[in-house]
Amino acid sequence: MSPEAIIDGLFAGSVYALVALALAIVFQPTRIMNFAQGEAVILGAAIAYQVVALEKLGWAVALGVTIVLAAVMGLLMERMIMLPVRMSGSRYAWIIATLAAALIFQALFNLGYFDVDALRPEPVIAGDFQVAGITVGWQEALTIVVALAVMAFYDLFLRRSVYGRAIRATAHSTETSVLMGIPVQRIVVLSFVIGTVITAIAGMLAAPVLFVAPATGLLFTIKGFTAAVIGGVGSPRGALAGGMIVGILDTVVRSLVGGTVGNFAVFAALAVILVVFPSGLFGKPMEAH
Amino acid sequence: MATVDPTPARAGDVAAKSGSLFDSAAYHRVRTLVLGALSVLAIAVLLMWPVITDYYSYNASYYNGLVASAAISAILTISLNLSMGYGGMLSMMHSGMQLAGGYAAGYLVVKVSGSWLLGIVASVAVGTLVAVLVLLVSLRATYLYFGMITLAANLIVIEVGREWESVTGGIVGVSGIAPKLGDDVMPKQFFYYVVLAFLVLVYVLQRNLVRSGVGRASMAVRESSDTASAMGISPARAKLLLFGISGGVAGLSGALYALQLGFINPDVGLLDNGIIFFVGLFLGGISTLIGPVIGVALIAILVELIKDQARYTTLVLGCLLLLAMMVIPRGVVGTWKASRVGRDKLSDPDDEALPDQVPDVVPEVRDVPAGVAALEGVGIVKHFGGVHALDGVDVRVMPGTVHGIIGPNGSGKSTLVSCLTRYHQIDKGQVLVFGEEAPAAPHRVAHAGVTRVFQVPHLFERVSVLDNVLTGMRMRETYSWSGALLRSPSYRRQDLQEREEARQLLGFAGLASRADWLASSLSHGQKRLLEVVRAVASRPKVLILDEPATGLTSSELDALARLCRVLRERGLAVVLIEHNVDFVMGLCDEITVLESGKVIERGSPERVRASAAVLEAYLGRPDLVEETS
Repeated sequence: MSPEAIIDGLFAGSVYALVALALAIVFQPTRIMNFAQGEAVILGAAIAYQVVALEKLGWAVALGVTIVLAAVMGLLMERMIMLPVRMSGSRYAWIIATLAAALIFQALFNLGYFDVDALRPEPVIAGDFQVAGITVGWQEALTIVVALAVMAFYDLFLRRSVYGRAIRATAHSTETSVLMGIPVQRIVVLSFVIGTVITAIAGMLAAPVLFVAPATGLLFTIKGFTAAVIGGVGSPRGALAGGMIVGILDTVVRSLVGGTVGNFAVFAALAVILVVFPSGLFGKPMEAH
Repeated sequence: MATVDPTPARAGDVAAKSGSLFDSAAYHRVRTLVLGALSVLAIAVLLMWPVITDYYSYNASYYNGLVASAAISAILTISLNLSMGYGGMLSMMHSGMQLAGGYAAGYLVVKVSGSWLLGIVASVAVGTLVAVLVLLVSLRATYLYFGMITLAANLIVIEVGREWESVTGGIVGVSGIAPKLGDDVMPKQFFYYVVLAFLVLVYVLQRNLVRSGVGRASMAVRESSDTASAMGISPARAKLLLFGISGGVAGLSGALYALQLGFINPDVGLLDNGIIFFVGLFLGGISTLIGPVIGVALIAILVELIKDQARYTTLVLGCLLLLAMMVIPRGVVGTWKASRVGRDKLSDPDDEALPDQVPDVVPEVRDVPAGVAALEGVGIVKHFGGVHALDGVDVRVMPGTVHGIIGPNGSGKSTLVSCLTRYHQIDKGQVLVFGEEAPAAPHRVAHAGVTRVFQVPHLFERVSVLDNVLTGMRMRETYSWSGALLRSPSYRRQDLQEREEARQLLGFAGLASRADWLASSLSHGQKRLLEVVRAVASRPKVLILDEPATGLTSSELDALARLCRVLRERGLAVVLIEHNVDFVMGLCDEITVLESGKVIERGSPERVRASAAVLEAYLGRPDLVEETS
């Protein structure tokens, strides 16, 4: 195993950490584990592929388009998921609704890019550099830095801003928050939008290096979920730690044994963690379900 | 069906009383007839289908295959209904279990022997095994995490299928799986009837299971595993049994799939393919018997209609699923049953007079050793973090008495109950049931004869009042799950007797006319009474009632008090935790008073009433009160 594998792991880990963060952002006010979250990764990758690789318009345009379309996707997702959940009242409603949303988006990506094997644009910054004898790709370094920055910013937002406090209050109790005059509905919409934008940016950054196919959204959801469970749903720091563990485990096993065994290791790890700690590694984040 | 024109109601008919055509007896008779005729027609069409297609179409085998595939999907959806609808276990590995079953059948038919029957047996075994293994490792997992574990297990099954080439054929899969009849390949038309026969078998199996005590136990665990434990049902065992059966059925559908199409490959297990079963289940109606079949039939028709635009199928199904959740959240069958047109006729409630005669089904406790307490706690200590909820509590409940436990809010009454019934682990002390150490698991305590009724109503709201009482009888049912599946004579006998007893018990509590109502439609007081009846149905020796009188009207209070007295006469020990002091004082033989986790007084009601310590606990120090006034 080379030290580069660790760097690859940290890179993949930052992507999973961002997905985990987005899952947590949506989960906190809604108590919904959004199975469609990974589809935003595909959205980011597809826009990068379309704008950068096909239209040759450059990354600045891609970023702008991604943010706008991801926000739209977030709004759509909120309607597609929350409306059936409210109207149905079944305890399975959320899982069926998020699965259905995931399949709808996946079908759309499949229809749009049915002849594309991997959505792979050129990297934002090509080439690599040497640190202590280890080769690090600029794209990888950029992704890790962006992930850290997003985490730090969201952490600050959650702790310092009025909106952040409102989100944390809603996470504790929706009913009480309504009584306190917090616009819960607006916060739910906002969390879907923020989560989707973050995930789409992760997908955009991941696409030049990771394998992102139109139909792999669910895979990113599951890896992000694994990261969230390992790190504890709710805290950006936990998402970061969980994402890194999943990324390194995945890449290292892949480089040692090869092939699809990396996925296998992650799913097995998820199963083992859930079996040994039935309510997650850090406390009891999801007893509501 | 809604357009059926029912015969006009005669004067003096039930319709005149309730004022609606749809409630009239004639309408119900017509509806039953029409629905029955439709079912017969559907069955006839299915049976004649190969003949019909042969006559009308040049492409008969295609249309036969279409219906056979739909029937196989229906089998898998019934399996999903068992685990999700009746067991409350969110499974995302049903397509994986189908794949595993398909592999088992394919491997056996192609590589080991040629016998397709052997293949089917193997697939059922493999499906059951996978389900049991996954459930065993995830017994402690909560609802969402169980779903995630099944999702991980699904992916693992697919990965194994891709890698284990010697058995599964890797990515290509196994092909050439054909059922044989004698030495020749079985004609597809014959296999069509094989599939149909299995669908009928699985449907009957589902119906028998759900209507038996085994199914009631599973539904009880679905609603609340705590309540199920109080009825003496082991949640782990109930889940294992249901999920195992569900896995076996899923494996069976995999074998039929492989035999029907002649191949099996890892893509069969993908969740994308599994979504069709979720759609079918929700469209048809989850937790209904026929819902899965109707849902799958509707989807099969839809997919056939848009087959020229096959690449939009997933998109259409996804949208349909979301739409169905919004418009008919309970599915076609559930919505029909809940509508004015489709609902069952319920008996009119009359406020019946309570019978004077105590029915024999009210349990009687005999042959108890004299002088031994029915339930005894010795020096019970329970801490929550730094809080001493119970600090060395002794309590002795004698058989044939009503024992009250009172105390101010937060004095530890409910904690004491939970400790006595092993819902909480105690830090120090002993719990004795008739002089013997109480078993460690809550449902075993119930088996030892101690049944509790919770402080907050814990009814099984989505089933009928009668079913609630029947669930209470689960503990003493002696038939096995296989007996229930096959409706063995001993099962039928017991079932009949139980229903009779349950109705008598309900009659004694004044609820007989509401036996077929949904439990959720009762008033608060009736719910509390029903809970007590359900507990009595489990034939306890000790009955613990946690604040049963809260929110009852005075007549309901009388009914409750009467029930308690009857139980005392029958030799039971009744433990009453209560705030209503008049109620307690009038009923109890002995009272224990708790305050801050300690016993401050015990003895007869008179003694407690006169006790200075009790007065102080409830009202503060009387001397200080006088000073300030």
